[in-house]
Amino acid sequence: MATPAGPRYREALNQALREELTRDERVMLMGEDIGVFGGAFKVTDGLLEEFGEKRIRDTPISENTIVGLGVGAAMTGLRPVVELMTINFALLALDQIVNHAAHIHYMFGGQARVPLVVRMPQGAGHQLGPTHSHCFEAMFLQVPGLLVAVPATAADAKGLLKSAIRDENPVVFIEHESLYGVRGEVPEGEHLVPFGVARTAREGSDVTIVGISRMALTAERAARTLSEDHGVEAEVIDPRTLRPLDLDTILASVRRTNRCVIVEEGWPHGGVGANLAALIGEQAFDDLDAPVARVTGADVPMPYSKPLEDIAYPHEPQVVAAALATLNRTAAV
Amino acid sequence: MADSPPTDSRPREDALQAREWLETMTLIRRFEERAGEMYARAKVGGFLHLSIGEEATIVGAARALRDTDYLISTYRSHGHALVRGTPPENVMAELFGKVDGCCRGRGGSMHMFDMARRFMGGYGIVGGNLPIAAGIALASDYTETDEVTLCTFGDGASNQGTFGETLNLAALWSLPVVFMVTNNQFGMGTALGRHSAVTDLQRKGESLGVPGMRCDGMDIRDTYGVVCEAVAKVREERRPVLIEAITYRFRGHSMADPEQYRSKDEVARWRERDPLSVYGRQLMDEGTITAGEIEQLDAQAIARVDGAVEFAEASPFPEPSDLYDDIYVLGESSRGWYSVETTEDREEGSAASGPEPAVNDEIPQQLTSALAAGEDGHEPGDED
Amino acid sequence: MSEIIVMPRLSDTMEEGIILRWLRAEGDTIARGEELVEIETDKANMTYESDQSGVLHLIAAEGDSLAVGQPIASVEKAPLGGPEVDGGPVNGAVAPEPAADEAAVETPEPGGEPVTAAARALQAKALAPEPTTPEPQPATPEPAAPEPARPEPEAETERVKASPLARRMAREGGIDLAGLSGSGPGGRIVKADVLGFSPGAPAPAQTAPATQAATAGAGAPQEPAGTAPRAPEEIARAKGETREVELSRLQQTVARRMAESKATIPDFTLLIEIDMEECVTLRSELKRIAGSGEAGEHARPAEKAVPTYNDMVVKAVALALREHPLANGSYRDGKVQLHSRINVGVAVAAEGALVVPTVFDAEEKSLGEIARETRALAGRVRDGSITPPELGGGTFTVSNLGMYGISSFSAIINPPQAAILSVGALAPRAVVRDGQIVARNTMSLTLVSDHRILYGAEAARFLARVRELLQAPAALTL
Repeated sequence: MATPAGPRYREALNQALREELTRDERVMLMGEDIGVFGGAFKVTDGLLEEFGEKRIRDTPISENTIVGLGVGAAMTGLRPVVELMTINFALLALDQIVNHAAHIHYMFGGQARVPLVVRMPQGAGHQLGPTHSHCFEAMFLQVPGLLVAVPATAADAKGLLKSAIRDENPVVFIEHESLYGVRGEVPEGEHLVPFGVARTAREGSDVTIVGISRMALTAERAARTLSEDHGVEAEVIDPRTLRPLDLDTILASVRRTNRCVIVEEGWPHGGVGANLAALIGEQAFDDLDAPVARVTGADVPMPYSKPLEDIAYPHEPQVVAAALATLNRTAAV
Repeated sequence: MADSPPTDSRPREDALQAREWLETMTLIRRFEERAGEMYARAKVGGFLHLSIGEEATIVGAARALRDTDYLISTYRSHGHALVRGTPPENVMAELFGKVDGCCRGRGGSMHMFDMARRFMGGYGIVGGNLPIAAGIALASDYTETDEVTLCTFGDGASNQGTFGETLNLAALWSLPVVFMVTNNQFGMGTALGRHSAVTDLQRKGESLGVPGMRCDGMDIRDTYGVVCEAVAKVREERRPVLIEAITYRFRGHSMADPEQYRSKDEVARWRERDPLSVYGRQLMDEGTITAGEIEQLDAQAIARVDGAVEFAEASPFPEPSDLYDDIYVLGESSRGWYSVETTEDREEGSAASGPEPAVNDEIPQQLTSALAAGEDGHEPGDED
Repeated sequence: MSEIIVMPRLSDTMEEGIILRWLRAEGDTIARGEELVEIETDKANMTYESDQSGVLHLIAAEGDSLAVGQPIASVEKAPLGGPEVDGGPVNGAVAPEPAADEAAVETPEPGGEPVTAAARALQAKALAPEPTTPEPQPATPEPAAPEPARPEPEAETERVKASPLARRMAREGGIDLAGLSGSGPGGRIVKADVLGFSPGAPAPAQTAPATQAATAGAGAPQEPAGTAPRAPEEIARAKGETREVELSRLQQTVARRMAESKATIPDFTLLIEIDMEECVTLRSELKRIAGSGEAGEHARPAEKAVPTYNDMVVKAVALALREHPLANGSYRDGKVQLHSRINVGVAVAAEGALVVPTVFDAEEKSLGEIARETRALAGRVRDGSITPPELGGGTFTVSNLGMYGISSFSAIINPPQAAILSVGALAPRAVVRDGQIVARNTMSLTLVSDHRILYGAEAARFLARVRELLQAPAALTL
């Protein structure tokens, strides 16, 4: 398989930030080490030099307060993009994200808007241990008032980040640490990806596989294996945004294939898959030939030791097996 | 009580302002009393935090601000809404949970808000308003205005993480915030000395880079004077300042508070320093107002509050169909499922379901028929 | 005048309180804001201040437990207003609150139990004419049982394991799940099992109404015309109990396409009577041959299929179409398409559906072959094993309601076909021959044609040819 050309995921994000900073004076960035250091993952590389200290602000380590500043600034006319170094530290900022950013528009009767973007990467796989390996998209998905984006490709990262910055609602923008280096084709010119529209990565008629964030790519690889080794044609859907969710595309697919597998890295209880499986069961019950299956991260704190970490989140073989199971088959060819 | 010596340069109110101050303090007092009664009659739900006794800190501070400055406070928020001019009718209606409440019944007592008058809330989380205040100040500087943000919070909040984080950031980034800690001697039921290692609260910001001042929160003139000074300094130098206002709340932390943590004698002593009576007497002594006029002011305030209650009673409750309104800002191009309604009509299932989902026209495989053959000219063998 | 002081609500969870100690006595003059009484609440003991001024009269006694909102004292107002404003509708009514009040605050029944609005509502519900027994006390709210979306009765009585999709397919195809074996996990019946179902069970019971006769284009049952307009409720009740039946996807498609056909095609109708005596003779001869064993005892049962009159019509139509290719054509995008093959669709009524399997190259097949084929196709439709290729590719359609005694009817064209032939019942009828009235077996054929393809004369010629063939059916045997 040829390595795709095009910029890396992190470069695509950089492009998006640069373009939006240029386009709109009100856009400004805050985060730890985003300026002089260029960002812990180099997403904001070069922006301080280009846009200056007023607009690109290095902050102390104060996650909750940084997000709160973003909330206040957004309420009074700016369009801040706050970077939290990883989603793990977002836990410290949950009060400002949930009680304030998410609820202000509603609880003040629609008087104030919070067009804030909080960016953060997530994911395991680098032996960082339990406190540094979380996947919390389900936690943010739960909260009414927030929008949640989970781009898996460079093109979607760029297009969604630009849309997020232009959106009037607070957006939790979840990137993935392991995707930052992945290249992908990004269209020339102004490239916006709308929220609420899924990407059908691959068409198929035997089973629908919904992959969240990095798992969308894992699902694509699994689909190839299913086709080549097992003659099963899977339809792979990358929702790209969890809220708003393009449920109609997923439902239309399930109505055609009659089977669904949802793949996510997060924990199983109350995960994205649990939610989506319930929605599919409610909306497409009579079209299901098998129960909706989930492939999730293991219900454990992420261990450090390599062989344990490897089995604590999903890889391609697990997705293949789950898809085959909905067809009442096993992987033993 | 004030640490800063009174100077002639400190602004003083004129007669007209004086009446207005007394009027507003009286309105707040009568409103809060009535709110308490309404709560006891179960017209108001949830928690109710009254500002009775703290009127001078509210009015004295707010009157030191311009209309274009921002005021942001805590869950003890009725007085701050009223002082900036939100009609008591709308504040009472909000307490009643009615549609004509200033937040359309969505927020309640702890979450008052009035964007037009730059009263930025009303927050239920202790310390939650501090970072937001800093963010507002950041925006003021970013857009190169000379606006100032006044952020009030209690002595209890001075121990929250956000206090340290926000003051540090405000000092570091030189943000135009006046942090005003309303020291009413108790963090809910815990006395100051039992919750704060440093009880001289005006000094609590020094280690973070924010200089402190103090005022007598029971004396409206002192409060006004000190806050004016602070606001002028912040407006000019664009750097944060901390003011400690020494005050007392005559009622419990909230309506549910049996106040076992303080003696009735202590409350009685503080009541002798009731800001309304003290200021009223001062003005009478100075000849600015007569006793009869004070009574009249009071009667008017009561009448106004009566009217507010009537208004709130008459205002309707929000419709059940309004439940999902205003969670998101939606536009014409919004697509996808924003909300899942788990109540009855799940037809659309979203606030913006966008284009109609494509109706599945497919007929079961074995009965795809000549009908389908005729449809759009697809003969079997046409596709694939 | 007196104002009532009620048991105050002193916390968000408080529902009742106990009078611990009156701090003022009966007959005292009390001022607003003065401490009045100590109350024990669910959380703590609280002191409550009077919100009225005047002369105090106690209602509740120390130790009494009262619900929030019940009177505990009254205050007689001084005739001249005290230090504060008197009179006026302050604080809303303290008298019995209107029932619309959301809060559970009400005055008690005289001498009765204190009743909250919530409890009263629940009581009322319990006493309403319900088939279930009323609940004695306010219990948990009634669980809302989700109404099943389809009111159709489930066919199976025992719990058969089947996927939701398989159930739906079985229901729509009229297949009894009990007759299937499941290849899914734990013996679950899945889609593949329903699809692979082979004939066995007899025709299943009717499930859906009315759409059986969907071939008939004319008059779906309507309200009698000419009745005076009535109120909607009257009309609704006049029809008795109404039960909604959901259409299957196939039925929905049929409905849609029928409407489309009627709406878009400029059709016209030609009716012709056929003297079927010769066909009757032919058929009885063929029957005799089949029954007598002249075909040979080694003949397969299928070979013994005796052609029906409909088969004869199909063959006649096929031969006539050879000579009148326009009647075999299609209308598409402003053009007429002529087809080299002649594929006659024969409408078959399946369970709640109209299905039209095709006899391909009908003009090349012998009458016997056609008979065998139509019989086999009909059988496969009824047991659900018909396949899509067999249901497509028709160039002309024949529809027969003669078995129901229908003398003639006009079917709806199957777009994009040029025409459809409706066959009526064969019966002895009075006709005039040589100036005499005699009884002859006759049958009507009604041709409905698309005027964009077929014009009157051509359609008439085609129909006349069909009659010719049927009235001298020897040609059909070729």
